[in-house]
Amino acid sequence: MSAVLTLLKPRYLSFRNRDPSARRGRVLKMAVLGAIGVLFWGGLFAITLRVLVYFRRIEELGDILAFKLLSMVFLTFLSLLIFSGILTSLSKLYLSRDLSLVHATPVPAYKIFASRWIESTIDSSWMVIIYTLPVFTSYGVIYGGGPIYYLGVLSNLVSLSIICSAISVLLVMAAVMIVPANRIKSIFVFLTLTFFLILFFAFRMLRPERLVDPEFFETTLVYFQALRSPAPAYLPSSWSFESLRSILTGDLVGGLFHSGLSWSFAGLLVCLIIPAANAVYFNGVSKTQTAASRLMKRPISRRSVFRKLPGPIGALVSKEIRTFFRDQTQWSQLFLIGALIVIYIYNFKVLPLEKSPIKTVYLQNLLAFLNMGLATFVLSAITARFAYPAVSMEREAFWLVKSAPITLRQFLWTKFLIYLTPLLILSEVLIVATNILLNVTPFMMGLSTINVLLMVPGVIALGIGMGAAYPDFKSENPIQSVTSFGGLMFMIISAVFIIAVLVLESGPVYSIFMAQYNGIPLTTGQWIWAAGSFFAAFIMCVLFFIVPMRYGERKLAVYLR
Amino acid sequence: MITLSGLTKRYGTIQAVKSLNLTIPKGEIFGFIGPNGAGKTTTIKMLGGIIAPTSGTVNICGIDMAAEPEKAKQKIGFIPDRPYLYEKLTAMEFLQFTADLYGFNRNGFIGKAEARLKQFSLIDWADELIESFSHGMKQRLVMASALLIEPEVLIVDEPMVGLDPIAIKMVKELLTRLAEEGTTIFMSTHTLQVAEDVCHRIGVINSGRLIATGSPEDLMHQADSTGKDLEAVFLKLTQE
Repeated sequence: MSAVLTLLKPRYLSFRNRDPSARRGRVLKMAVLGAIGVLFWGGLFAITLRVLVYFRRIEELGDILAFKLLSMVFLTFLSLLIFSGILTSLSKLYLSRDLSLVHATPVPAYKIFASRWIESTIDSSWMVIIYTLPVFTSYGVIYGGGPIYYLGVLSNLVSLSIICSAISVLLVMAAVMIVPANRIKSIFVFLTLTFFLILFFAFRMLRPERLVDPEFFETTLVYFQALRSPAPAYLPSSWSFESLRSILTGDLVGGLFHSGLSWSFAGLLVCLIIPAANAVYFNGVSKTQTAASRLMKRPISRRSVFRKLPGPIGALVSKEIRTFFRDQTQWSQLFLIGALIVIYIYNFKVLPLEKSPIKTVYLQNLLAFLNMGLATFVLSAITARFAYPAVSMEREAFWLVKSAPITLRQFLWTKFLIYLTPLLILSEVLIVATNILLNVTPFMMGLSTINVLLMVPGVIALGIGMGAAYPDFKSENPIQSVTSFGGLMFMIISAVFIIAVLVLESGPVYSIFMAQYNGIPLTTGQWIWAAGSFFAAFIMCVLFFIVPMRYGERKLAVYLR
Repeated sequence: MITLSGLTKRYGTIQAVKSLNLTIPKGEIFGFIGPNGAGKTTTIKMLGGIIAPTSGTVNICGIDMAAEPEKAKQKIGFIPDRPYLYEKLTAMEFLQFTADLYGFNRNGFIGKAEARLKQFSLIDWADELIESFSHGMKQRLVMASALLIEPEVLIVDEPMVGLDPIAIKMVKELLTRLAEEGTTIFMSTHTLQVAEDVCHRIGVINSGRLIATGSPEDLMHQADSTGKDLEAVFLKLTQE
């Protein structure tokens, strides 16, 4: 046991030894992140409370709906924990950089496994537990759950986390016996996304919106029967759900029984994973040390189009594109973006506009206007994933950029141009395709395309600039830097930018649209207002295009000093 | 002390090490030289028990690495070429971490750790975070931690990389003294002068196969390069 604790020590000591001079910045970061966390937590609590209050008002059906929702929360909890457990345990057990160091010591492989598994369990579950607590607290408030209920919540969440983490690690160890760990991550993410997409389209094909449409509501009997059907008894999430439901309905014995089931299964799994790790873990680690070989080998073209660009810039562009497409972790992300575009456009296609009480032409153009915001929010998320970590992605190879005959400004603008082209095309495709599906007026089509053309450079410049201002060259996974303080600030500022542009334009756009719709010319005052607003929006776009890049350049230069 | 029998490692279709047979007696410094990608680091990793061989055995002080890895590793001080160190730990905390993992006697720890840090000119940095260390300092710290546990076998991958001339001289003297005291040393290096200066025997590996072993004089004889230095021998053997 002492070896397991010793192996956990570096993490604790690293936390304790954080740079004290950075304390002030850390406090600020913690305050911002904490405030956002509390807001999110409070919002979730308020929404759940409101939903449960609403359910309680429905006689007979209310409790069934509330407990059905609880059962679904547990099922989601189970899936999330297993998904996160697989990714975390893969990294901790097979891909960490300190594996050579610890495996060279005379500590049995199963003890190394045990310490990593404990870390993995905590890392993969703490956030899920914290952010589901408001849901469970709402149930406690509505159904008058006493201290026993809250103890039950904690006990069930912990046992379920242990079960999920153990199942994940068993799956990972089995998979690593067949495929090296560095391949599994990509394959797993790809399979999960495919599964999610199939589920999504199956769900959309069912047209769930018809359930609230009385015309399609043939019988309520089938609906009631579906709601009353119990959750599968063999699922660990069902035991936790039954345990809490029993406690809330006053059946303490039932609560303890189901909680006992959950804990005994968790214990059994822990007893299983240790001997399993003793048998196969080291072989998996050894296999993972195998040098990674390219999946698709083909000769590298020496006649690249980028050779026509000036020396260092051509080299950077060429390097960026090659490393991007050879990194298998990026493939699943590209697949996800493709899926996102299809889902996005498909959702517009199936909008039941004709059934709306608002006039169709008005609604179509209103949606088109709001769609500019939606599409640029999607763009922000994609920028956060790809452009924001672009500087940190240089990692320890950044010395090459520093020693090359290229300025930081050139370096950052090259990065900007690399991401601008594909993201601009993507945003315009989204806007034009959805506008065609909405059958908008030529004015709205023109406005949307020009707006996106002006806003996309601002969002990408913000991503590159903030990524340069808050770089993390030492991160094992720079993509995760988007979850850092800088990434969060990027998302917030980007949202403010998008909303500000739309707010500036909303008034004049409404006036112009209504004038066209009613065939009335605009007054001089309205023209001046429109010109002023559009000019202000344009200036804002230009500022967002320049200022973040300058800021990023300055901060990066200070960081490198 | 170290016995390798039919040691083989395959990475997919590539055979990195091909049926390596070698015995290194107690107190010998064995130098392992070869061109880049010859299989030196793979062999070292198998010796240290970090990767498992595809076939063959590693025997350390009479202990089979595959059968009793913990017992075998207890005898080894391992120094990799590009060591990963916990950047947010201090030098002393890192030594404590290593000592705890090896079950090193806690009572004498502080004295011995300080002595090692002093030996490697790191005593003034004992309580500084490793992230502030230069590459050479990190290399010296890894050596200090490997020697702290007083190993019977020392496995070193490229010991001189990043060290200044003073540290190189100190390490050479240290390795010689450790061998005189009975420590068996397996060392891979590209610095042929170091191999010539400190190693009792040298093995030349090329394309995963051990192509020659012996004292520097034996190698010169085998390569028919009498009177020339080890560099000429190395070039002749590996380019044949």
